[in-house]
Amino acid sequence: MSVRRRSLERARRPASPPEPALDPRQPFALTLKNSRGALVLHALNPAARTAGLRRGQSQADARAMLPQLLCQPADPAADARALQALAAWAERWSPSVSLDPSPDGLEGLFLDVTGAGHLFGGEAALLKQIRDQLAEAGISARAAAAPTPGAAWALARWSDPEGHAPVVGQARLRERLAELPVEALRLDATTRAQARRFGLKRIGDLYPMPRAGLARRFRGAGGVELVRRLDQALGHEGEALTPVRPPARYRAWQAFAEPLGDLAGIEARLPDLAADLAQALEKDGQGARGLTLTGFRTDGRTTALSIRTGRPGREPAVWLRLFREAGLGRLDLGFGVDALMLAAETVEPMAARQVAIEGEAAARQAEDLADLVDRLSARLGEDRVLTPEAMDSWTPERAERWRPALAGPAAPFEAEPGRRPILLFDPPEPVEAIAELPDGAPARFTWRRLSRRVIRADGPERLSPEWWRPADRLRGRTRDYYRVEDEAGGRYWLFREGLYGREYGGGEDERAPSWWMHGVLP
Amino acid sequence: MTPSSFASPERFPEAAAPLEEACAPLPRDMGAAVAFALSRRPAADERPVLLALPRSWVGEYGRPYAPGLTGPAPLLVRASTTAEVLWALEQGLRSGAVSLALGAAGDATLAQSRRLEFAARHGGAVGVTLSRRLDGLSAARRRWRVSVLASRGDAWDRRAPGPARLQAELARSRYERPGAWILEQDDETHRLRLADRLAGVRPAAIAGTGAPSGLAA
Repeated sequence: MSVRRRSLERARRPASPPEPALDPRQPFALTLKNSRGALVLHALNPAARTAGLRRGQSQADARAMLPQLLCQPADPAADARALQALAAWAERWSPSVSLDPSPDGLEGLFLDVTGAGHLFGGEAALLKQIRDQLAEAGISARAAAAPTPGAAWALARWSDPEGHAPVVGQARLRERLAELPVEALRLDATTRAQARRFGLKRIGDLYPMPRAGLARRFRGAGGVELVRRLDQALGHEGEALTPVRPPARYRAWQAFAEPLGDLAGIEARLPDLAADLAQALEKDGQGARGLTLTGFRTDGRTTALSIRTGRPGREPAVWLRLFREAGLGRLDLGFGVDALMLAAETVEPMAARQVAIEGEAAARQAEDLADLVDRLSARLGEDRVLTPEAMDSWTPERAERWRPALAGPAAPFEAEPGRRPILLFDPPEPVEAIAELPDGAPARFTWRRLSRRVIRADGPERLSPEWWRPADRLRGRTRDYYRVEDEAGGRYWLFREGLYGREYGGGEDERAPSWWMHGVLP
Repeated sequence: MTPSSFASPERFPEAAAPLEEACAPLPRDMGAAVAFALSRRPAADERPVLLALPRSWVGEYGRPYAPGLTGPAPLLVRASTTAEVLWALEQGLRSGAVSLALGAAGDATLAQSRRLEFAARHGGAVGVTLSRRLDGLSAARRRWRVSVLASRGDAWDRRAPGPARLQAELARSRYERPGAWILEQDDETHRLRLADRLAGVRPAAIAGTGAPSGLAA
């Protein structure tokens, strides 16, 4: 099935500044610069089309024909984004929605509705629902259903826009396609022009032609393309579609007769959805690690909220609590949502969980911890609930890394509390120090505007730069670390970056070794 | 109340109350305050530690450095406001999944700290708040003032700094009379232990004398 979307949608909802609604009788067009830098018409409203203007005409010509024509620059990137958003919205009818990036304002969406028609009362009813809901959202659309994407594409664009949306079965496919023009085969401009020149006007004209001859007759690859497109439309050759998002295997779905405009309504519906999804997961022995709640708004947009858990699970109560933590208030309901979908994107088998039995208490404690991490991450964001991980480096600030705790439990850490600081300044802070050359410990240093006298010092602990990094600023120079204690009892971890002699000879263009404060020891 | 020299031959309270407060009177004391707060975790409790620190705190005092921390791997919450710190602390304490929750929430009100105390009782955990001053009201059962002390030097090299030494002064407590104790980091277990016990110094002799808060940082 294919849905055609007019790019004039933007004309009705200009991005900026707010303007009064356009009178439909006022001719209006969006313009775009062509390759020669001239402004040409990119999209027109019905009034402009009936006045005899057409796409691709230069703006100057159009203005000469119709002085009262209003023009605005087109924004193809925004159109593409809008189509992408619409694709997400169209997932209410099918889990597999693909973009159709046809040029020349013929873009649209493909929905794979195989086996889904009966859910909406048949394919004709489905098409009617699609057109009605899109119209309600302010988008004029054409729709058609056919056994192949190519045929649906052709029928959606070349059938009567006022009449019923065409639903064509396999039996009448050949016959219905025969009356459509060759343009309906998704051909490029040169092939189209050549076909016209050969007198091939309707798709039906191609049926009696011998295939091999037809393919050879055209210049370049045009003939082969023509035959391929014809075969795809008739279903002799397959055509793969790439969905915008991989269809979720597990999803729960609810549609409402009246749009929900308040969060309380959503919260009331959520337990049912969660229970449905949990049941489906349980049947297959699966657990979800990532869930997305999608609300389908009446104005053709979607609003979504995602949660993630550290371990696979299928307990509706836990999901509900996480959604509440993540903030249902973040859902932008607009004028209301008329359908809700809860989909499990990341799914893992649950069997592996039961293995650890050595201690009931330990298992329960690990579960408690995972719950806590899930809750903290849902509210604050994954990147703010962290756990340390040892890294393969001896440079102190790179020897450990704080990674999201959701990714899994922390591995035991090799710690040396006496010799390493408890609080680390990252990046290190510059210090002015008086020290004996070439590698004595500092006798005095000034840090954060206070001068401190060193009573005790231990060092140097020499850490060479990481040899595998390129020799530039990123690698740095050798560091000599000192543990020092000042007269007030404060213990600090200082280092001198650079060695006198080997790394600094006193040259004009060389950086003198410098002192840095790297951490506080308890 | 000023601790009198006769008041504190009492035992150092090893077991932590549900909610305690560690105050670092000067910026240089913060490392010691964190170390002291972490040492309030019961030694046998293998549950992890939760640290809730606001961004501004990390900018001022540095970030926790895992190779320098003792005990099981911590869980760090980087909060942006004090409200988030308090929320994370409450969640952590109530969940029963952590042994100790440490947060930089010095200016918590009485009501907020009471809530933390209830959560800590519920989860069987210890909550410690880090602060810079002890003047406000708090439901913390013990309020400590922690300051660094000069170490006694390394056993083999007098010029090198020895194990960390700090003074923990119990300024307010619901259980015992105020006092002051000198703690030292054990070089094997890396936990803080009473320094006096080995040195043979009566804690009473130190109370009220060590590191008066008038010193500049």
